[in-house]
Amino acid sequence: MSENTMSSAVMTQASIAVNRFGYGARGDELALAKSSPKKWIKSQLLPISFITTLAHSNDIFMEHARYQKQKKLLKKNKSLETKMNKMNKNFARTALKEMSIDTLKQAIHSSHSVSWRLLDFFSNHFSVSTNGRLMTGLAATLEREAILPNLLGNFEDMLLAVEQHPAMLIYLNNERSFGPNSRIAKKRNKGLNENLAREILELHTLGVNGGYKQNDVVELAKGITGWSVKNPNKERNAGFIFRPYGHEPGTRTLLGKKYLPKGIAQGQQMLRDLAMQPATAKYLCYKLAHHFVSDNPSPALLAKMETTWLNNQGNITQVMHALFDADEAWIESPQKYKTPRDFIISAQRALALKKSNDKALLNSLINLGQQPFNAGSPAGFSDDEKDWLGASALMARIDWSTMISGYLKRANAEKVMKLALGESVSDLTYQMVMRAESRQQALSLLLMSPEFQRR
Amino acid sequence: MTKNNSNNNVSNEFSTNLSRRKFVKMAGSSLALLSFPMSSVFAFEANNNVRSNPKIVWVMLRGALDSLHTIVPTFDTQLKNLRPKLFTSFKGPLLPLEKGFALHPSLKNLHQWYQEKALLPIVAVTSGYQQRSHFDGQDFLESGKSEIDHDSGWLARASDSKAKRALAVSRSTPISLRSGKQVNTWYPSKLKSADDDIYNQLNKLYQTDAMLRESLESGLAVRGLVETDKTKKNKRQGQFIDLTKACAKLLSNKDERIDCAMLELGGWDTHNNQSNRLEKKFDELDQGLAELKQGLGSEWQNTVVVIGTEFGRTVKENGTGGTDHGTASTLFLAGGAVNGGKVLGEWPGLSTGQLFEQRDLMPTSNSYGWIGNVLAQHWQLSSQELKQVFPKVEVYNEVLIKT
Repeated sequence: MSENTMSSAVMTQASIAVNRFGYGARGDELALAKSSPKKWIKSQLLPISFITTLAHSNDIFMEHARYQKQKKLLKKNKSLETKMNKMNKNFARTALKEMSIDTLKQAIHSSHSVSWRLLDFFSNHFSVSTNGRLMTGLAATLEREAILPNLLGNFEDMLLAVEQHPAMLIYLNNERSFGPNSRIAKKRNKGLNENLAREILELHTLGVNGGYKQNDVVELAKGITGWSVKNPNKERNAGFIFRPYGHEPGTRTLLGKKYLPKGIAQGQQMLRDLAMQPATAKYLCYKLAHHFVSDNPSPALLAKMETTWLNNQGNITQVMHALFDADEAWIESPQKYKTPRDFIISAQRALALKKSNDKALLNSLINLGQQPFNAGSPAGFSDDEKDWLGASALMARIDWSTMISGYLKRANAEKVMKLALGESVSDLTYQMVMRAESRQQALSLLLMSPEFQRR
Repeated sequence: MTKNNSNNNVSNEFSTNLSRRKFVKMAGSSLALLSFPMSSVFAFEANNNVRSNPKIVWVMLRGALDSLHTIVPTFDTQLKNLRPKLFTSFKGPLLPLEKGFALHPSLKNLHQWYQEKALLPIVAVTSGYQQRSHFDGQDFLESGKSEIDHDSGWLARASDSKAKRALAVSRSTPISLRSGKQVNTWYPSKLKSADDDIYNQLNKLYQTDAMLRESLESGLAVRGLVETDKTKKNKRQGQFIDLTKACAKLLSNKDERIDCAMLELGGWDTHNNQSNRLEKKFDELDQGLAELKQGLGSEWQNTVVVIGTEFGRTVKENGTGGTDHGTASTLFLAGGAVNGGKVLGEWPGLSTGQLFEQRDLMPTSNSYGWIGNVLAQHWQLSSQELKQVFPKVEVYNEVLIKT
């Protein structure tokens, strides 16, 4: 057949703007982007917001404290204790579920989805996982309270907000890290925990090859000793607290620079300087380009982004504009296989389902291997296509596509194809979708086509 | 288009040399080919022997079933010339019906029912749809209005006219049951394995994408291993036999009365390797329907299963061991309530002059005419009510239901 010889599709500039940088076309976005794709995508980078009625991290703490208090009272009554246990866990789980769903739905329905992808990028960059009762409730609050408010601003502000957020402090055990020479340590025999400091250097700022030494880890760890969280049963309210008596006294040296003893400001200044290190610019720009463009971003693109970072105090909006302005980001051939999360969100955007089932949406992510806040590592989910392209992962995607197509008896695959991919469809894919034996099969084939799987 | 009800002579003209123009005219209007005065069909209304709980199961075969490979006209000498490979590809002896027709060897249970007079194969039928698009053809067949209406289906309108309760074994309501007042959907809840056909399609789709193709191939290899394990095979949900089994259970539930159900089975679009593919599909269909009968138990006697497809396939085999989109196909009526054991429908012949557009089996009757008859005799729909169900088609006069 003649269609066997057709080559795969190239992406139009509009499709790159909408599908590579955003979460995929919804409605007539391709048409809107067409006349000036670069301008359009830059105008898309707008502030976003969450539903405000969901639990705050402070609520999670208060509930957790209440649970611990009652647990003490009920220690003698075993059956009541298990009941309590369940109640509290449900609270945390419900909070997690509601917040995870909120993020997903906002991404699906947003008219400027690129901002939601940027949020997801940083949420994964500062990955926290649901490990234990308290973290189950807290995990999803980090992106809401620390990342989103700083999403389009300077990286150092986001970094500070994240490292002082209770979710991160507890996830990486800094709430109990005290200086060896602090009053608390001497009195209660407590000491330093390097966990958060190490991940700040290795994962959040410089990167593993960023040129820091073990001594820098210890110095940073000491600099942020006393960064802790309130215990609502002993202190009023909940949230971040600096415990001066737990802070290591003295001057610190990080990457050769001295930091005078100034309490909480010592660690804060260390973080601000880390944010502006060339190694941090390099590492973050690489990760951004790797996420938004290609697994092998071109050196020219990276150079443009790094320069922008260093000249603009690590301003995230400016760095993203530099990415959008660079021709190297607009390569016509598809560069990257979508992660399960990208795939599900882009499919939902393309299909524009009227009704959606929250539980089913979360289950989709679980079934395809990307359960929110469950990366299980502070490094987050992989952003490499080779990690998502496995055989069983692909089979699960096929099953999912078949399933969701089964719900959509009315969907017109041709129309969906036009809205989602525009002209960026190979003849082979076009023919196979149009010649499918049923509407359901047509839609499954479209969702599973190389053009829809890649961006 | 003008309505042409009074033309009782069309059938003769039809079988000899019906042009496309005439077919179009006929399909768009009444297609009253075999129709006799309507009164005799509705005589059943007065019949005391009416079943108290008559059930209908509508099985839609999506993808266009090749009727010539299903009900084989062994007497037609053209067949061997038109299909040198397909005609000799059957792996077992054909199962004989009357008038020289024969069923595909895989349709063992259906043949058994034929012998028990519980199966009526009808040859050379059409819904009146005249193009060759699967989507539109299926929508057309399901809506029953001789035009596509995505919001209302024939089974829904038939159910509503007698306050019947319907079930779609599907994730969402198919067109056939849309606009119905008492329609439920049911489907196994777990993520099911996709139909085999989608893998074949994707394999083709990935021919220019080595990475995706490689993953698909190893994924299929793994599933292949899993499937040979019997315990695991049982866990695969959403296969046709599971659906018919569950459907039978729901239909025979005494507490929650359900009068009709719709099932769907895809995988009939056999552009290539038709012989092997249909052998498997017929096995699946035949065993699924046998499971339905088994599950219905004594209710089988009150049941009519209607099995149809959007259109037929080309009379000539193509270059890849398959057939392409065509026109007339086949309709089966099965079940204990069916007055079966014979082959209905006029045979149009296979010589070039007898084909539709010189390539497809020429339709000689309209599916709705037969289904309407079932609705009249089995559910006692009046001619007024049938006008709501199939507005443009007259019902054929033939005793299709056992009295």
